[in-house]
Amino acid sequence: MSFLRCENLSKSYGQKVVLNELNLELESGKIYGLIGRNGAGKTTMLSIMSNQNPTSSGMVTLDGDNIWENRKALDRICFSRELNITAESGLAAYTVKRYLGAAALYLPHWDKEMAAHLMQSFQLDPKAKLGKLSKGMLSMVTIIVAMASKAEFTFLDEPVAGLDVVAREQFYKLLLDEYTETGRTFVISTHIIEEAADVMEEVIILNKGKIILKENTQDLIDRACYVTGLAEQVDQAVSGLECHHPESLGRSKGVTVLLKSGEHIGSGFDVTVQPLNLQKIFVALCGEEAQ
Amino acid sequence: MQQKLTEDKSIYLQISQMIETDILRGILLEEERVPSTNELAKLYTINPATAAKGVNILVDEGILYKKRGIGMFVANGAVEKIRIRRKNAFYQMRLTELLTEARSLGISKDELIAQIMREEL
Repeated sequence: MSFLRCENLSKSYGQKVVLNELNLELESGKIYGLIGRNGAGKTTMLSIMSNQNPTSSGMVTLDGDNIWENRKALDRICFSRELNITAESGLAAYTVKRYLGAAALYLPHWDKEMAAHLMQSFQLDPKAKLGKLSKGMLSMVTIIVAMASKAEFTFLDEPVAGLDVVAREQFYKLLLDEYTETGRTFVISTHIIEEAADVMEEVIILNKGKIILKENTQDLIDRACYVTGLAEQVDQAVSGLECHHPESLGRSKGVTVLLKSGEHIGSGFDVTVQPLNLQKIFVALCGEEAQ
Repeated sequence: MQQKLTEDKSIYLQISQMIETDILRGILLEEERVPSTNELAKLYTINPATAAKGVNILVDEGILYKKRGIGMFVANGAVEKIRIRRKNAFYQMRLTELLTEARSLGISKDELIAQIMREEL
């Protein structure tokens, strides 16, 4: 088993702190979901974890070795970035085929056949220029790079952005096919949380430059609940428990509770206890200031 | 295994209950192989670890058993075991729900019992 670790990772751009003393350990052989609000630092973190961006302090290690300019470690990591086609980048004039050919040069385990097969199943024209592709089609290109890289640790940044629902489903199936066959490690950032929740074994929540939670997705869903009722009854039922995002309306109150092992909602109170999905848990943990 | 997953319950519990229901309905027979966790993962687009968690619940209950290198099979006597298990779950879960609702409606124990006695089973 291999471990990819972020150790006290910090990153600032001028005065702006993007990552703040962040610690994270990824164990090989899992599909991780990375979720966080816009500007939380997801892309910065993934780019640092793949040596595409230097840290301000701290480091990233793979099995104990610093990955910075470490060819041996980097051969095992692929970060397929979101493609932003601007005039300056010069990418607009690249055809899909030429772009994938360029990617192959940097990726030592490149699977040419898989790339060709995926281009066909996504119905991408190899001769199409990147500048002419829709947002969804550009996402398909990044998915092909990630999958055909065959890298042991593969990061995908917003792979389903702009994809229609059929193509998104196609992506999740493709991911599971590849994962069950190879056991590669995937980190997938997404804003479409509910759809991806069932596919990720562990969820990583990044908020304001820090990892606030990393846990088995099903375990997290199992220990989360929403408690509602008359405010005083709710307060007594959840007394001493980890509560988030309380909402009040008149005499009623609702609160998100994360139970620790052995804890439970106080019994004998007239309250309703409901399960929560991952998206709602996320909002409760990260949506505090948006009220 | 044709049912759809819903949002209101843990995925792995739904997987284990779907397998149970298939066994009760005679869709999966005793001593027959059940789909592998990878097959379940692809069919329902869920993580294989989650599918395995659902299957392992049934292994722990003695409803499924592992044949090394071959797969997971329905145990002898599984149908009867599922009946007993569901009966226990009925008393623990549904009855608690019923009593909670009765409490907030101010229904007394005697009133509830009287109501049940009027129903046919």
